[in-house]
Amino acid sequence: MRSIPALIVLPAAFAAGAAAGAQEYLSQAEARKAIFPDADAFVDVTVALTDAQRQAIQKLGGSRQRWKSQVVWRAEQEGKPVGWFVVDEVVGKHEFITYAVGIAPGGVVQGIEILVYRETYGYQVREADWRKRFVGKTVKDPLQLDGDIPNITGATLSCRNVTAGVKRLLALYEIVFAHAQ
Amino acid sequence: MLCLFAVAATVVVGDARADENLLGYVKGAEPLPKKAFELYEKITARVGKGTGDYQAYDAITEFEYGFTDRFSGRIAFGAMAIESQGLVIDGYLPKDVDYGPRMAGMEAALKYNFLTPAKDPVGLALDTEFVWGWLDPHSGQDKTTVSIEQKLLLQKYWLDGQLIFIANAGYEMTHAQRYPIDDLPPGFDWPTGAEMEIGLQTGLGLSYRFARGWFVGLETLYESEYETEVDLERWTWFGGPSIHYGSKKWWLTATWLTQFAGGGEFYPGQPDTSLHLIEKTENEYRLKVGFNF
Repeated sequence: MRSIPALIVLPAAFAAGAAAGAQEYLSQAEARKAIFPDADAFVDVTVALTDAQRQAIQKLGGSRQRWKSQVVWRAEQEGKPVGWFVVDEVVGKHEFITYAVGIAPGGVVQGIEILVYRETYGYQVREADWRKRFVGKTVKDPLQLDGDIPNITGATLSCRNVTAGVKRLLALYEIVFAHAQ
Repeated sequence: MLCLFAVAATVVVGDARADENLLGYVKGAEPLPKKAFELYEKITARVGKGTGDYQAYDAITEFEYGFTDRFSGRIAFGAMAIESQGLVIDGYLPKDVDYGPRMAGMEAALKYNFLTPAKDPVGLALDTEFVWGWLDPHSGQDKTTVSIEQKLLLQKYWLDGQLIFIANAGYEMTHAQRYPIDDLPPGFDWPTGAEMEIGLQTGLGLSYRFARGWFVGLETLYESEYETEVDLERWTWFGGPSIHYGSKKWWLTATWLTQFAGGGEFYPGQPDTSLHLIEKTENEYRLKVGFNF
């Protein structure tokens, strides 16, 4: 059939040179300072979780603890702990979303930062208005999308998984760090 | 046909964002955000009727816009190319035909999301489509059709969204009008009176993200059609795999569906009567590329 090349001209015409690429918005070091501006030291206390701890985190946090190891930095000011900076990844629509949660003593969210976000929609998750909704939350709060945390249309899956992730990290704090202080 | 897919695959590097179709035929129930605008290009190859040489290609260019976070609309323009040689079927395929892309029809559609899959237990949407066509997709002859199609779309996420289940169920009603053709064989049946068709369709699909941006899927479609002249004209089961890649800028889905069962009308001398090969083919191949603006 002579006509096949003509059928593919239209999609071929859309070929363009812009390359898709991952975008890192904040490094871990920048995010640590953003959440704990008064800290003068950060100590790497990355934790290897036992199976029992992962099950306990899932039970308290309400979602699966996917990772066996969790990157955690203890923020200190004049040698005293002022919080924990936890780095996590959750499933987005295409790629993992890398974010970090700052947890103050007592298990209260001090702040969250989105480090890497590669999804089609939902860049609003990086904006302060959405992130500040998590400040002050504890593991006892609902942390429910369209409840105490607003949804962002087009990024519902990302919002849902970040919200569930924050609650899971609060559970991780309770299981691993709260009683070790 | 391989050339077609290879060239279409080179399209994919574009500066755009995507709201995707993870599968080739079964549609998901994710809403399009308000004020988002999408462009799709879909190419489908329909190949093989068991006798002779049959291949038809449909190319659809579609634009979709989100009016609200739950309500979107789209318009589409379709073209068709066809080559059919060595197969004449009374009432369906009157003669050999071979022509390049011709405009074949237009579509307008609306979609409303009642539930969204990431926030509610399941996603549920109603999709309503109006189609005006002027070429018969089976014979390539002139034929005016006006159709309405409605489908319920259901979607469920598992494993934090890595595993996606999709189901569709719907109907299609069509008013069709064929036109006289010169030099048909004596006694050849080619009705030119108005015809009504009612079709039912169900589809099921699973898609799994196995690597960053990459999804593999399986889907199956059941369709049946009733027509004024012959009552149950056809029923078919198709199934097959899909591969999907999605990034921030664009996405692509490639699907192969094969007919593994069918019935209703069949043509004299049809080598495999366990399939319906009058209005359907043995295989379909589809490539979709999507961009958002």
